[in-house]
Amino acid sequence: MIDFNKLEAEIAEARDKFINIESINEFKIKYLGKKGIISLEMKELANLSGNERKKQAEKLNKIKDTILKTIDTKTEEFNNIELDKKLNSETLDITLSTSNSSGTIHPISQVIEEVIAIFGELDFFVAEGPEVETDYNNFTALNTNENHPARQMHDTFYVETITDGMPNVLRTHTSPVQIRSMLKQKPPIRLIAPGKTFRCDNDQTHSPMFHQVEGLVIDQESNMSHLKGCLEVFLKTFFETDKLNMRFRPSHFPFTEPSAEVDIGYTKKGSQLIIGEGEDWLEILGCGMVHPNVLENVNINSNDYQGYAFGMGIERLAMLKYGISDLRTFFDSDLRWNKHYGFSPLNIPSLIGDLS
Amino acid sequence: MKFSYSWLLEHLKTNAQPEEIEEKLTTIGLEVENVQDTGKVYQSFIVGQVLEERKHPNADKLRLCKVDVGKEKVDVVCGAPNVEKGMKVVYAPVGSIIPVNQMKIKATKIRGVESFGMMCSEYELGISNEHDGIIHLNKNEKVGTSFAKISGLNDIVIEIGITPNRQDCLGVNGIARDLAAAGMGELIDKKVINDKGSFKSPIKIEIKDKPACSAFAGRYFRNVKNVESPDWLKNKLKSIGLRPISALVDITNFVMFDLNRPLHVYDADKINGKIIVRSAKNGESFLALDEKKYELKNGMCAITDEAKVLGLGGIMGGESTGCGLDTENIFLESALFDEVNTAKTGRNLSILSDARYRFERGIDPNSTLKGIDLATQLILEICGGECSEVEIAGNIKKNLNEISTSCYYLSKRLGFEVNEKEVIEILNSLGIETSKKENSIKCKIPSWRHDIHGEADISEEIIRIKGYENIPTKNIRSKNKINQNILNRSQKNIIKARRFIASIGYDELVTFSFTDAKKCDAFGDINKLRIVNPISEDLNILRPNLLPNLLNAIKKNKTRNFESFSIFEIGSQYKSTSPEDQLNIACGIKSGEKYTKSWKKEQNDFDIYDVKEDLISLIDFLMPSNKKISVSKDCPSWYHPGRSGTILINKSIKAGYFGELHPRIANSFKIKSKVNIFELYLDEIPNLEKKTTNKPPLKLSDFQVVTRDFAFIIDKKISSEEVVNAASKVDKEIIRNVEIFDLFEDESIGQNKKSIAIKVILQSNEKTLDESDISKISSSIIQSVETSTSGTVRS
Repeated sequence: MIDFNKLEAEIAEARDKFINIESINEFKIKYLGKKGIISLEMKELANLSGNERKKQAEKLNKIKDTILKTIDTKTEEFNNIELDKKLNSETLDITLSTSNSSGTIHPISQVIEEVIAIFGELDFFVAEGPEVETDYNNFTALNTNENHPARQMHDTFYVETITDGMPNVLRTHTSPVQIRSMLKQKPPIRLIAPGKTFRCDNDQTHSPMFHQVEGLVIDQESNMSHLKGCLEVFLKTFFETDKLNMRFRPSHFPFTEPSAEVDIGYTKKGSQLIIGEGEDWLEILGCGMVHPNVLENVNINSNDYQGYAFGMGIERLAMLKYGISDLRTFFDSDLRWNKHYGFSPLNIPSLIGDLS
Repeated sequence: MKFSYSWLLEHLKTNAQPEEIEEKLTTIGLEVENVQDTGKVYQSFIVGQVLEERKHPNADKLRLCKVDVGKEKVDVVCGAPNVEKGMKVVYAPVGSIIPVNQMKIKATKIRGVESFGMMCSEYELGISNEHDGIIHLNKNEKVGTSFAKISGLNDIVIEIGITPNRQDCLGVNGIARDLAAAGMGELIDKKVINDKGSFKSPIKIEIKDKPACSAFAGRYFRNVKNVESPDWLKNKLKSIGLRPISALVDITNFVMFDLNRPLHVYDADKINGKIIVRSAKNGESFLALDEKKYELKNGMCAITDEAKVLGLGGIMGGESTGCGLDTENIFLESALFDEVNTAKTGRNLSILSDARYRFERGIDPNSTLKGIDLATQLILEICGGECSEVEIAGNIKKNLNEISTSCYYLSKRLGFEVNEKEVIEILNSLGIETSKKENSIKCKIPSWRHDIHGEADISEEIIRIKGYENIPTKNIRSKNKINQNILNRSQKNIIKARRFIASIGYDELVTFSFTDAKKCDAFGDINKLRIVNPISEDLNILRPNLLPNLLNAIKKNKTRNFESFSIFEIGSQYKSTSPEDQLNIACGIKSGEKYTKSWKKEQNDFDIYDVKEDLISLIDFLMPSNKKISVSKDCPSWYHPGRSGTILINKSIKAGYFGELHPRIANSFKIKSKVNIFELYLDEIPNLEKKTTNKPPLKLSDFQVVTRDFAFIIDKKISSEEVVNAASKVDKEIIRNVEIFDLFEDESIGQNKKSIAIKVILQSNEKTLDESDISKISSSIIQSVETSTSGTVRS
């Protein structure tokens, strides 16, 4: 009959003497292998009587459990030591890197989307019109007849095709979209129209192509005070500031009456422009109450309906907000510029997320 | 419009400081663009006299001068050709700042000779464009006195922008009137002598073209002496940047800027018979005062005598009757020319003149005789002589506009309750006479205002004078939503496409909508819509597609050391000038290094599969379901014929192209690397409004997935797509995917043959496939591919 006490002592002693996985395996074979001590004893059980066998089996199973647990614990210990050793030799130079640059969104696109996000929140929809316009839509319908001095100030590009006896033009402003939209839709109307515009002018501060956004609101009550409110909300949201000095002063556009130009306050800190506060004024946009003649030109009764319009330069908004100093660089396609001033494609302007 | 503060004070009695006036001008719509305190600008410049003058030892064109400047005598090196001994000059001492370029004068050595200060030209002082020589002052000027003082530059010069509607403010008098209305003081009613004249004018006037010239007044002066103008007159003109010429000319210019009344003086002895105002005849020409000859056309308003054209009405006088210092008898003109006719003629002949600028904006008819009175007074005073009675031809019309308005209307438009008393006060201060009838206010518009036609214009006058700062700010959010959608489907597609393309590595560019016709020649048969007046010859057509400008960008950036290009633009290209032919295109280019050689990767260049993948994933993003994309071969002429494809959506919609740019075009842009491009016609993406936001149900099978590989040898010209299609169609349910995993071309498998290996993934929704199922499908696949491609399976 096996001496269990001796056996337990033997196992406890062996356990502290393992030196590697192989020694554990030897241990396992010695006790649990086919001819192992425990396995042989198990076979002997058949020769014992009922009660005796039950007692002996219980004892054997207990000791078998101890042996198995010992093997598991020790095996894991040795595996961990092995792994640590391996990992210590597996080093990579973490200062090396691969580069993967994402593309960029042009500042003009970004600013147009910002403008849409803000006016969308104010219940404006985005209207569009073609870049090649008729003389009528670009000027005459906007209360600027053929000999109006304001036409001379527009430096119009002409194309070779003709509509109603007048050469077609590259639109000099986004205002003809007002005309197209009002012919399509009855009031109430609330729209913005961002897009390309063209003037035959090319110097430090002028580009033959630039972008504007037009705004138009026509209903039965919108007046100068709403215009002021609308632009104040827009400019504060756009420039992301609660404090914004704003100045309305009289101006003249043939298609609005009264007309105004809007200035915003700014200060200069070093080379940086701080928009909002300050003693100095920057002209930012033109606006006014839609001229009754314009409404009549699109068959809207000017006794029943009134409203306001505004227009501003996208590049100017971009330059002021993002500190871009030269208008012409927008169209230079200098990739160094695009990568510097461009925006991440995931940076989608939204009033829920971030505007910029 | 420029005027000096002292000039303004001749018309405006005020206690306001110049700063207040400047601020007020802007708030009433006469925007101050520039203020120059000339007293300060010119404070350091003084009168000097050249005592000695000799040649510079080291330079032929330079002179060494000893200049007496009062307190001392200084050495100045001077390059002006007109410097001479004894000459009185304007001397800028060391430390002064030259107005024209803000340069600070320093003591310096010029070609080895020391020079202290500088003698100035009119150009350098910013007085005129005269830079041929230094200013030669009158010999009576005292050495050492301030130049600002003797030249009337001791003043503040204000420059304001006049919007096209405010023709009434093109004279100092009109500006003063507006300021007085805005509470800046009182308009001074300048007393002018009304000289009846002592004899009948020997020169009569006849108007034959009434529409172009409604009235022509004039008077004859005899025995005048045209002299140099007195200092007060010269200085006034100089202060606003005009060059004094002679008293007669200076007087007409003065009246033009003082009263906004253009005048003209003729040398009466050079007029043959009477003055006739008539439409010019085709082929007539005349030499104008700007010394240029103009060819006239029928319809232009010609001022003639019985022999020749004397001038263009409202635009410019002629050389033949110009007044010189020897002129003795003159004829003074003050007329009313039609706005539209003046504008047309001026535009036609490209003549810009102060007279045209005023007549095309409209002149106060009442100024016709006022101008004659003021000019007469000054001519008699400065040039002496005698004047005739005033001759008037035509009609000086005074029919004044009348407009009715109401406080209700004004309040509704301006956004606040206006006060009737205040409204009437403002209108009256502007010279608008009012009368009340029940609730309406009747307004009589004065002769000098040509911009007030309706009630809306009255509302502007009220708020302009009251001040825009008094408009309240109201919330615009309305209770009822007007617009269902902010953006329509195609606008959304454009924004989504832009974000997507940038997200897969492309930089967005915005290039001009114009391009160079010559650069488009290589593109073959392509529309060239010419711009009549291009800004330059290389921007002379509307772009027929986006490529020329993007290729130019690549070319430019190559010189900036870029080797890898992923660029795109979304914008319009033009098929014709009609609106529906302005197409929205997304054009992307990948060219050059895909991977730069690095420690990790070998260098690898972009190829057409990169842009194809991008284009298809873009379409997938814009149109996630309900579409089938296929590729066909017919690409436009700017693609490499063997390395390009057309993308079809649902077999019929030509959505775009991908491929390699035709090497001939790449060459014409001097680009050596392969240029891989895609073009997507964004308007062709079907505008499917989503019927449901639900996605189709997801069917998942838990039965085992089996993979089988096959290889076929087929003709080179058979596309791999045909192999994939033939395999896929065998069992649409069980065949989950067919993918090409190998492509092999070699002589060993036959000439013009290629080997294509596909991996087929099989899975059933109903059971685990057993060997017999699999071998049945496998042989069907082999049969299908062999039949449709005439190929053979490789074993």
